[in-house]
Amino acid sequence: MSTAGEVTDATAQPDQPDVAALIPIVRRIVFARVADRAAADDLVQETLVRVLAASERVEPGMLEPYAIVTARNVVASMWKQEDRHRRNQHRVVDLAPAQEPDENLLEREEHDAVTEALARLSERERRTLLAHEVSGEDTRSLANELGVSAGAVAAQLNRSRARLRVEYLLALEQAEPPTDRCRPVLFALSIGDRRRQREVDAARHLLECNLCARLSEPLMERGQPNDNETRIRIRSDADIVLARQGARELAARLEFSRTELTVIATAVSEIARNIVRFAGQGEILVELLENPRPGVRVVARDTGPGIEDVDQAMAQGYSTYHGLGLGLPGARRLMDEFAVVSERGRGTTVTMTKWRQGG
Amino acid sequence: MNGGPALVSILRQGSYLIASIHTALDDSQLVRFQQDLINQIGRYRSRGVVIDVAALDVLDSFGSKTLRNVAEMARLRGAITVIVGIQPDVAFAMVELGMGTGSVHTALDLEEGLAYLNSHLASPAAPGVVGFQD
Repeated sequence: MSTAGEVTDATAQPDQPDVAALIPIVRRIVFARVADRAAADDLVQETLVRVLAASERVEPGMLEPYAIVTARNVVASMWKQEDRHRRNQHRVVDLAPAQEPDENLLEREEHDAVTEALARLSERERRTLLAHEVSGEDTRSLANELGVSAGAVAAQLNRSRARLRVEYLLALEQAEPPTDRCRPVLFALSIGDRRRQREVDAARHLLECNLCARLSEPLMERGQPNDNETRIRIRSDADIVLARQGARELAARLEFSRTELTVIATAVSEIARNIVRFAGQGEILVELLENPRPGVRVVARDTGPGIEDVDQAMAQGYSTYHGLGLGLPGARRLMDEFAVVSERGRGTTVTMTKWRQGG
Repeated sequence: MNGGPALVSILRQGSYLIASIHTALDDSQLVRFQQDLINQIGRYRSRGVVIDVAALDVLDSFGSKTLRNVAEMARLRGAITVIVGIQPDVAFAMVELGMGTGSVHTALDLEEGLAYLNSHLASPAAPGVVGFQD
């Protein structure tokens, strides 16, 4: 166990006079809080090591406040650790997870992926990102160096992080995107920018591209979970039931009446079935609306063959299978607003809205 | 139905079959239900069928059509069908959708449904009927 005396020796080098001068104040702070002398000595030493490591980054004259804060943090984290230990003492299990045999390998793969992803960023992006995330340089000083505003640096960092996430996932999968639309779409998802996602038609691309559909999951999970929408993939007739239940549950939060909920669920059921029958697969997005009044919007997208003649498909009684031709016209009657956009060979998008009565 | 609670139950009660749907069914489950029911009409020589749909929160075009088909197939097999328990909200949505059960008879609940079957099958022309008569 080390003592404060050794620390004094170790730090009393001519090129680090500042840190040595901090010892009395650090000792005073730590000893005032920790009764056990040996433990206190350890904490003093730990504080000084941290201050020493950071001394180059800390502005001259600020070293003392920095040391005081560090000392307090070090003491607090020891308390936290002790507390956790006390709380968990009754458990027989070892809280430190055992090292799995493949842990090293996973760590290595992850490390390689990060390295590769970083290498794919531009030189300027990489430098700024590392300066901020690793060396802890703040946006203001980076802005000074680069001759731009701090806001611009923050925005650039945000973009770089989004790009890094995309490249990391690609490197981890060791996959090269099959189309030149993949990267823009993944980037738009990663940065969480709705307008950009619409511009690159991300929703359609995810239906068409299996790689992006897979990679999009971790990218979208990351963002704030959006309470006001639910997205259901439609692949089989079991998904029709999931879609109408999902729509009902979401709409129930806006205090639609039971009847309105049933109407919405029925309309969703109809268009979801159209996807399964004619397109094979697609997705249904249900969103809650606040403006101009409470309502729910359902967007059903597929990448199927498209509808040759939308007017004919909307006509009562028209049917291409042995149903009753109620799919589209039936859903239209149930909802307040209804629009179909279809392109042959590209698929169909149905958008429909129900407003809450008296809302 | 593979494991878990039964999605539907088809019970025999004298010469009647009472089929209850317990939860939302997807299309293939509905079709399987239809086949099971039609088969059992033959196996038990049933004359009347009650289909209880009180647990369904949605009856869309496919669901309504399947129920109509069941009734028609049952008729061809010599049984009368009555659908009971359509919820008020479901009834509203079915009408809005432009979908009904057509000529299939419906009743408010199981009791009304059985009463309907009794009154239509209690005639001397249907001597095979047992039970439900005083």
